[in-house]
Amino acid sequence: MANETLTRPVPPAIPRARVRPWTFFLMIVGLAAIYIYGWQVTQINLGELVTSTRLIRPLVRDLVRPDILARVPLRQEVRVPFSFTPEGAPPMPAPAADGPRIALSAPVGRPGQTVTVRGEGFAPGRPGQIIWTDQSGSSAPGEEFVTDGEGRFTVPVEVIDLIGQHHTLGVQVTLQGSALRPSSAFTLVLARLVETVFLALMGTTIAVLFAVPLSFLGAKNLMARTPVGAAVYVVVRTILNITRSIEPLIMATVFAVWVGIGPFAGVLALGLHSIASLGKLYSEQIESIDPGPIEAITATGASPLQVVRYAVVPQIVPPFIAFTIYRWDINVRMSTVIGMVGGGGVGFLLIQYINLLQWRQAATAVWGITIVVAAMDYFSAKVREKVV
Amino acid sequence: MAGATVRIEHLTKLYPDGTRALDDVSFEVHPGDFLVIIGLSGSGKSTLMRCINRLIEPTSGKIYIDDVEITALPVGELRKLRRQIGMIFQQFNLVKRSSVLTNVLAGRLGYVPAGWSLTNYFPSDLRLRAVESLTRVGIPEKAHTRADQLSGGQQQRVGIARALMQEPRLILADEPVASLDPATSHSVLKYIEEMNRRDGITVMCALHFLSLARRYGTRLIALKGGRIVFTGYPKDIDEARFREIYGEEAVEVEIA
Repeated sequence: MANETLTRPVPPAIPRARVRPWTFFLMIVGLAAIYIYGWQVTQINLGELVTSTRLIRPLVRDLVRPDILARVPLRQEVRVPFSFTPEGAPPMPAPAADGPRIALSAPVGRPGQTVTVRGEGFAPGRPGQIIWTDQSGSSAPGEEFVTDGEGRFTVPVEVIDLIGQHHTLGVQVTLQGSALRPSSAFTLVLARLVETVFLALMGTTIAVLFAVPLSFLGAKNLMARTPVGAAVYVVVRTILNITRSIEPLIMATVFAVWVGIGPFAGVLALGLHSIASLGKLYSEQIESIDPGPIEAITATGASPLQVVRYAVVPQIVPPFIAFTIYRWDINVRMSTVIGMVGGGGVGFLLIQYINLLQWRQAATAVWGITIVVAAMDYFSAKVREKVV
Repeated sequence: MAGATVRIEHLTKLYPDGTRALDDVSFEVHPGDFLVIIGLSGSGKSTLMRCINRLIEPTSGKIYIDDVEITALPVGELRKLRRQIGMIFQQFNLVKRSSVLTNVLAGRLGYVPAGWSLTNYFPSDLRLRAVESLTRVGIPEKAHTRADQLSGGQQQRVGIARALMQEPRLILADEPVASLDPATSHSVLKYIEEMNRRDGITVMCALHFLSLARRYGTRLIALKGGRIVFTGYPKDIDEARFREIYGEEAVEVEIA
């Protein structure tokens, strides 16, 4: 047949594999060596996770039952002043017309002397106790007694030695039953959480005040037009980069030494770190603005100020707001850690509870942090969605 | 209001890197002309456009608009003259995050007192005019949409409405349809043509397609390497001229 010599398409040449088998083998051996060393140097011991569960058990158990509510025994309590010297003794308040009231045989006395305390109007047949409170507010328990069938009692009390001159003598009568109240750990965690959110807010605000002007100096498209500007740009960017590389945790340690342990040290640490990170984000935003609108608004005969207002501001303000809220969100999360090294806020409380092995109280703090951080995260995401 | 006369004399633009973008360019545009400028990318069309309203400072030469030498004006006077020159861009150059209405109103910034405008306050008659401008380009319902929500053709129409707000006597259109599809190109060019025919506004328009140049242009100049290589009427561009302007290997592409 004439058409037998049809040309068949030449199959394309298969390219040779670039990595040869023995190179591949060497790579595997090398990687294995790296990971074996890594395993040893980081002391990875998976067995420990199983054999030592007993150590973590109380922690996990208490995590699911945080200390939020406490049963507080119901009490009747009355206090009156008592002084060691008559000079400067506060006046005795008039006794209440009804309800529990007490009277002393003498409002002044020395340690070791005996005063008689009479009470009436208390719950009948209930145990009670004398409580001494000195000027500094610290208390010491005194004599115990039981009220009679009509809610009265008479008890001789020996004056105990207290620091200072003017004190109070209190009577507590325990009633039947108890009340459910927010625990002291809960109220403390709540107060510290509020402090934490505001700590982050103040740190972020301080950062914004410094980062906005710095970001213009750190924007290449604005600064690189002149040699001086280029030098300023390099200096600003270098400082921002160095500052950003220092962990806020370390900054908080330094500031805690400088201005003392407390939220102010945290504000300074978060503020300084946020200046660096916001400054970089802001200036990158300025660098990425579209020059087109600037050209267009200039072409309409607008003044330079109008050009900034209509062509530049709409391009940078929404992202600036978004970055700032995101930073606040990060700072709330970070301030919990910063508290651990003395930067104030709820972290400080948490590390105290952990050190005292008060796991249920620690659990309260952990849950509080989780809820606040999650809420901030959600809120900041919502706002950013709206703004950008 | 009649369209402006543009007279360009020995215009040269030398960029700092040594590029001679415009080389001794001279021509005149009559009131009511629809002048099409053609030429390859990099032939100097954009530079020429931007020299006319001094977004780019020419190196030498003179540009007169109605016998006012714009190249010699101090900044304040220049801004006043710029108000009468509308500009339309290839990339539309809208402020993407602002509303369409704000973008259109921005065309009026040269006329309103600076203090007011900084608060984004515009008197109600201006806002009404902005909506009228949008109606003219067929998208009044988009007034409160964010500019970046619009299609390319719609964005360019906002660009035209912005230029309309200036009550311009001259329109500089720098490749206004180069980023658009053929159908949209025609609708956008028709709005520019309408400004030219109905309001008598002088138009200078850079275009890439000869078919569009023939359809819309009343006069035509061609640039090559910063020099004018042809001045005349669109119908006079034949095959030989086309090769001269676009190079020996060029083949004319039709746009429907």
